[in-house]
Amino acid sequence: MFRVELLTDTKSTAQPGWAYVPDRGFDPAKAAMAPTLGRKRGIRDAGKGGDMTSRQNTAIVRHLAELDRENQRDVQIPVPVKQAKEAGARGTRAKTTSNVRRILQSQKTFRNHLDDEEAAISLGAAGVSGGGGGGGAAQSTGVGGMSGGAVQAKSGIASKGSKSSSVAQRKRPLAAGATTSASATPAPSVPETAETGTGADDEADDGESAPKPKLLKTEYDNDPLLRSYAPTAPSERLMQRLLAEPPLSYNASRAGPPALTAPPRHFCCMCGYWVA
Amino acid sequence: MGTKTRAPPKSATEPAVVSRHLPDKTFVIDNGAYTLKAGYVSDLPPAEDEALSACSTIPNALAKTRDNRVVIGPQLLTHVSDWNEVMFRRPVEKGYIVNWEAQREIWEQSFFEEKATARNKSSRIANPEETTLILTEAPNAIPLLQRNADEIVMEEWGFGGYTRCIGPTLNAWNEVHTLFGDSTTPQPDAAPLPVDCLLVVDSGYSHTTVTPVYKGQALQRGIRRLDLGGKHLTNYLKEIVSIRQYNMVDETYIMNEVKEAVCFVSNDFSADMEQTSKAGRRRQAGSDKSVVVDYVLPDPNAGRKGFMRPHDPMLEAKKKKGALSGLSADVLSEDVLVLGNERFAVPEILFNPRDIGMKQAGIPDIILQSLSVLPTGLHPPFLANVLVVGGNSLTPGFIERLETELRQVASADCVVRVRRAQDPIRSTWLGGSRLAANREELGKVAITRQEYQEYGSGWTGRRFAGNV
Repeated sequence: MFRVELLTDTKSTAQPGWAYVPDRGFDPAKAAMAPTLGRKRGIRDAGKGGDMTSRQNTAIVRHLAELDRENQRDVQIPVPVKQAKEAGARGTRAKTTSNVRRILQSQKTFRNHLDDEEAAISLGAAGVSGGGGGGGAAQSTGVGGMSGGAVQAKSGIASKGSKSSSVAQRKRPLAAGATTSASATPAPSVPETAETGTGADDEADDGESAPKPKLLKTEYDNDPLLRSYAPTAPSERLMQRLLAEPPLSYNASRAGPPALTAPPRHFCCMCGYWVA
Repeated sequence: MGTKTRAPPKSATEPAVVSRHLPDKTFVIDNGAYTLKAGYVSDLPPAEDEALSACSTIPNALAKTRDNRVVIGPQLLTHVSDWNEVMFRRPVEKGYIVNWEAQREIWEQSFFEEKATARNKSSRIANPEETTLILTEAPNAIPLLQRNADEIVMEEWGFGGYTRCIGPTLNAWNEVHTLFGDSTTPQPDAAPLPVDCLLVVDSGYSHTTVTPVYKGQALQRGIRRLDLGGKHLTNYLKEIVSIRQYNMVDETYIMNEVKEAVCFVSNDFSADMEQTSKAGRRRQAGSDKSVVVDYVLPDPNAGRKGFMRPHDPMLEAKKKKGALSGLSADVLSEDVLVLGNERFAVPEILFNPRDIGMKQAGIPDIILQSLSVLPTGLHPPFLANVLVVGGNSLTPGFIERLETELRQVASADCVVRVRRAQDPIRSTWLGGSRLAANREELGKVAITRQEYQEYGSGWTGRRFAGNV
C-alpha cells in the first residue's frame, strides 16, 4: 500500500504576471460572467433541488458570455502607429516613465485583473497593488448582503415591534416585510467579526442620544399592538463609521438572486412566446 | 510589478501641511464605456444648461470600418458614413479602464491635439500642469486598475491637480431638489453642496449599479451591481432579430440605433405580450394601439438613415407585385425589420434578468438588497430620492416601471419617488462640475502634482480611498 499525502504549499506565490486562480470547470476565459457552479458540482447536484441540468446551466453561461461580447467576431484593432513627426511632438512633455510604459504595454484583460484580485484576496493579502482600498481579509467576510448583518440586526431590534405592527396594519403583501427581515436572518455567523464591537457600542450610544422614534399618525394610535413608529435616523457616529468602510470587492458587490422565488418564465425565441 | 515610483514615507501622515495649490482650471472627464463626457468647468457656477454646453460627448472607442480604416474616438462623430459591419475596440471593459494603450490614444485625440481648432476648443487641455482633473470611475474598482489610472494621469500627462472619484456619487452635487419637487430656499451665491441622501441608479453600457450616496459620499456596503447594461440589450436584440429575420450579428452599431428607436419598457408585460401575439395572428395592424412597428434599415449607398414607422402588414405582398404595385423604387429597395414583442422583451431583462437565465435580481429588488444592509432609519430618505442616470434610463417607460415595482416591494410606510436626471447621460459630468465649483470641497478630495511626486501612487490610492 502506498499513500498519497498532499503537501500544502506554504510559500506565497504573489509574483507579478501570474497567480493561482480557482478552477471553474470549463474555460472561464470564455465565460465573461462567472458561472455560479463548477462543472462537476453541477452534474452532482443535478438530481437534487435545482430544476436545471448542468447542460442547461452551461448553455445559459455561454449565452450570457455571447451577450457580453463587444463584436461578434474576434477582431484585432491596432492603435494606429504614430507618424515620426507627431511622435516628435511629444518632446515638450516629460519622458515616459517606467510605470507608464508597463501599463501601456500590458495586454491584460479585465478577466485577468479580476483573477489576480481574487487570488490576492484569498491569500489574505491587502490587494496585489498594495494600493489600499481593495482586497483584504476584512472584505472576504463582506460577501453579498451578509456584511450588513450587524447594523441591520441592531436596527432590526430597535424597530422590530413597529415593523411587525405595520405589516399587519397596512395589509400590504408580505413580500416587503419578508425581504427586510430575511436579510437580517442570515447574519448569525457575522457577529463574530470585528463588527460586533461597533454594533454593540453604537447601540449603547444610540440609547442615550438618539431621539425617541416618531409616532406615525394613524387611526390605530391607541392600540399598543398596531401603532407604528418611524425609524429614527442613525447617529452621526454610525454614519461616519459606515462612510469609512472600505469598498467591497468586485465580486462581492454583484447583486444577489431575487428574494421571491416565483417560477421563472422561459422565453422561446423561435415562436416568441413565454412558457411559464 | 514594475518599479515603484517612491515608497510612501510612513511618517508622512499629515500631507495637508504641505502648502498646496490646486490649479484654478478644472477639467472633468466622466470616462464611460460607450462615450466619455468631458469639458472644462466654468468659473462661476452657471445655470445648468450653460454648464452643459461645455461638456462634449465623445465615443470612447476605436472602430474599424468595412473598408478597414481605423477611426478613433472623436472622429467617429464625423468620419464614418457607412456603419455596416463596423467593429469596435473599447478601452473600458465592464465599466473600468483596462486598456490604457487604447484609452491614451482616444484621450490624445480628444483632449491633447496640438492645434486648437473650433471643434476641439471646449475639450482641449493645453496645459495639463495648470489643470485639475476630475476623473470618474465605476464603483468597486479593482485596486490595481485604480493605481494604473493614477499613474498614467500623473506621469503621462502630469496634471497639476487630480482626483478620482466614484461616478454615481457626483450626482448628489446636482440640483435635484427641483427634480423631486422639494421646496428649497435657493441661495444663488452659496457654493454648491451635495444633497444629504440620494440613491443613484446608474444604468450604463456595461452594467447597472445602485449606489446609496450620503452627503456626497458612497455608502460602500450598499453598492450593488447588476451585470447587465446597454451592451447586453443591443446584443440581445441583435440575436433575436438574427434568428427571426435578417442576420444582423455584425451590425452592432445599427442594432444599437434600432434599440434606441424602438425599445420601451412595458408596464404590463403579459398583457403587452398577449396583445402583440394576437395582432400578429389576425394581421390587423395600423391601429394606434399596436406594438408592432417597422424599422427601415439605413442604406449607406443611397445615403439614407434608418427610421421607424408604423407597421404595414400589406407591404410584403405589395412588394412581391413589384413595379405593378405602384410603389416607388425607394420603397421597393428598402430593407425592413418588423419588430413586435422584441420592443419590450429586450429591456425587460433589466427588470427580470431571469428571462435570460441570469441568477440576479431585477433593478427594484437590487435597490432593496442595497438598502437591506443599511440602518432602517436610512430607508425612507433613500427610497424617496431615487435618481436614475445612464443611457438606458432614456428608454420610454423605464422610470414608471421602476417606480411601480419599487412601490410594490418597498415598505408601505415609505414614500417612493423615482426620477430621471434631466440629462441622464451627462448628469454625472454636471455633478462633477458643480463639485469643482466648490473649491473647498475639491481641495479636500484632490491631490496636487507635488503631493503625487512626493508620496507616490500608493499613497494616492489610499488617499482617494479616504484612508490618509
